[in-house]
Amino acid sequence: MQERLNQLSFVIGLFFILVSIVLVVGYFFVEQLSHNINLYTGIGVGIFGIFMVRLKA
Amino acid sequence: MMPFYYGSKARSVPEYLSLRFDEKTRGLNAITFAVMTVFSSGISLYALAMLLKVILHWNFDLCIWAAAGIVMAYTFLGGLTSAVYNEVLQFFLIVLGLSPLVIVALNDAGGWEGIKTSLDPKFTHAWKYMGNANDNDMGINFISMIFGLGFVMSFGYWCTDFLVVQRAMIAKNMNAAQRTPIIAAIPKMFMPLIVVLPGVVALSLLKTNPAFLEKVKDVMYNGDEINYSMTLPALLKAYYPNGLLGLGITALIASFMSGMAGNVTAFNSVFTYDIYQAYFIKNRSDKHYLNVGKLVTLFGILFSIGTAYIAASFNNINDFLQLVFSFVNGPLFATFLLGMFWKRTTGHGAFWGLLGGTIAAAITHGLTIAEGKGGWIAPMYEIKSGMGQAFIVASFSWLANFVITIVVSLVTKPKPDEELKGLVYSLTEKVRSNETRWYLKPGPLGLILLIITILLNILLF
Repeated sequence: MQERLNQLSFVIGLFFILVSIVLVVGYFFVEQLSHNINLYTGIGVGIFGIFMVRLKA
Repeated sequence: MMPFYYGSKARSVPEYLSLRFDEKTRGLNAITFAVMTVFSSGISLYALAMLLKVILHWNFDLCIWAAAGIVMAYTFLGGLTSAVYNEVLQFFLIVLGLSPLVIVALNDAGGWEGIKTSLDPKFTHAWKYMGNANDNDMGINFISMIFGLGFVMSFGYWCTDFLVVQRAMIAKNMNAAQRTPIIAAIPKMFMPLIVVLPGVVALSLLKTNPAFLEKVKDVMYNGDEINYSMTLPALLKAYYPNGLLGLGITALIASFMSGMAGNVTAFNSVFTYDIYQAYFIKNRSDKHYLNVGKLVTLFGILFSIGTAYIAASFNNINDFLQLVFSFVNGPLFATFLLGMFWKRTTGHGAFWGLLGGTIAAAITHGLTIAEGKGGWIAPMYEIKSGMGQAFIVASFSWLANFVITIVVSLVTKPKPDEELKGLVYSLTEKVRSNETRWYLKPGPLGLILLIITILLNILLF
């Protein structure tokens, strides 16, 4: 795990997964964040984040 | 040009000039480049501070110092590596954070067809109205566009701007170094979709959508005058709800920080290697130069804060940026073109050409006026836009440098061939790539880019 933290694509992936979680969870549970664009963008950046995390160095 | 940069083992563009020509040419380029990076960095800092002021309603001066402090922290601690790593993350952040904005705003404007209906056709065509300078708002014709932007400014940026070249110089091998600018050009070609298209969309919405105008009036207008630099923040404010607004603001902050950090790291490299080590304190330990580099980072950021306030006087900061490039990259490109491909070019020729080109840029700026800027000698010729003025300035600076360098070189003594091996095209062994996969070879990649460029120009003609 520590080795992967030195891999830039992994760090970028983690960052976008975190952003995705904030947007998607916020859409369902926080009234102020319940906008469709938050959900769609959250799903989009989540897919990108997973792709980057799984990318081999 | 990469085989000469990478093959010569120079650590910076000015250092290449010292190997190819002499110390005085290196010194002159190092000084002009250092000034350019400080101005460019200040422009990014100004944009960043304006964004924080408009969106978060912070005090402008506080925004300048806070933004400068953050960039200083990571460039001071991590140096070039941290700047480059951050640039990669920031790139994805910009693309993913701003793409939804383009889609939503474009949809609201009725798509591309809706924009074409509402705007004057000159806003939706790249070349159609470039036949005559009076037919377009830039105020230049296609010759100035192709020569000033397509040739001088573009080649100057991609081939001589140390900020760009430095990224290739730290590549792991020659093949990777050659691929660096080619791969960088791919997202750069599509960046207008995120940077230019929103501007066109905003213009359309301002004309056709009163609700949009009401939402962005306080951000985009200074009295009756539109502040074009605030287009993206205004669109963010109008279209992004809570949640995504955070991502959008972060993307813009990332963009400006990336620009600023890149310029600051280039500034400290050039100042430390090409001014301090070359002319003041030689033969000291690496640790000494590292410490000096860190100190220079601090001063670079302080200078940037000063130039950020100068950028505030321009209602379009891109015009200011292009003007700065036209003074430095424009003449420098002629020096490199002759230096790398004509072995007869001498150190005296390069120095006087570079100096003459820079002076020609200043004279052209002093004799032309655009949007109230320039004309400080005598406003003899008026150009409609600041950007058009920058292309004209770049063209004259390049021409002056080209002619002066050739004339002075012909009457001065060139370096012997032995000293120019690896630095000049005709005396450098041609690089043969061992790479077998076509998609990793610079040649096929470059050809694909050229085809895409031609197609995009036809599509947006």
